[in-house]
Amino acid sequence: MANTVIGSSIIIDGEITGDEDLVVQGTVKGKIQLKESLYVEASGKVEADIETQNTEVSGEVTGNITASDKVELKTQCRVIGDIKAPRILIADGASFKGNVDMDV
Amino acid sequence: MSDTACVIGKGIQIRGNLSGSGDLVVEGRLEGHVALEDHIIVEEGGTVVADIETRELTLNGKMSGNINANERVSISSSATVMGDIRAPRVVIEDGARFRGNIEMEVPLPDNI
Repeated sequence: MANTVIGSSIIIDGEITGDEDLVVQGTVKGKIQLKESLYVEASGKVEADIETQNTEVSGEVTGNITASDKVELKTQCRVIGDIKAPRILIADGASFKGNVDMDV
Repeated sequence: MSDTACVIGKGIQIRGNLSGSGDLVVEGRLEGHVALEDHIIVEEGGTVVADIETRELTLNGKMSGNINANERVSISSSATVMGDIRAPRVVIEDGARFRGNIEMEVPLPDNI
């Protein structure tokens, strides 16, 4: 479990930056920029442009996702936006609308 | 700690508005405006540059901004605080550094 958790009853409107893992169970609007991994859990809602190393989405994301390593869309997630990463995984049951760029 | 608690770790900076309910622990950096219904703890090493509205606030780290708590503000010996505090109960420990106004909203007797 990561050190930083945005709990399910928390709403953040602004910018999150940092160099450690982040778990979102609540709502984040704005921008997320991390040097490590972002986990958007099933209860999490993110309306933001995301720049990370790894991003794992089980909840809702509206915005563009750029990852230096991997983006994983888990089953039951809802993602609207463009994804750019060398490795992109989309699980069965995930909802996704947008562009995928694997830099090939 | 309840499972709705929010922790901002050492390597994380947040800039903007933070609102909602549930407890918040700040070990990293938080800038902007905070409005929470529960308990905020700024840990040693944590920095908050924000106006805070909350029920209860415990300060062990650095804080700059105005505080409006409807229950209690506690400034521990390791804390450095600049700003105005408005709360019914304010505790400042020996060793704490504080600059600002405190308003406790205490009903004073008429004959003073």
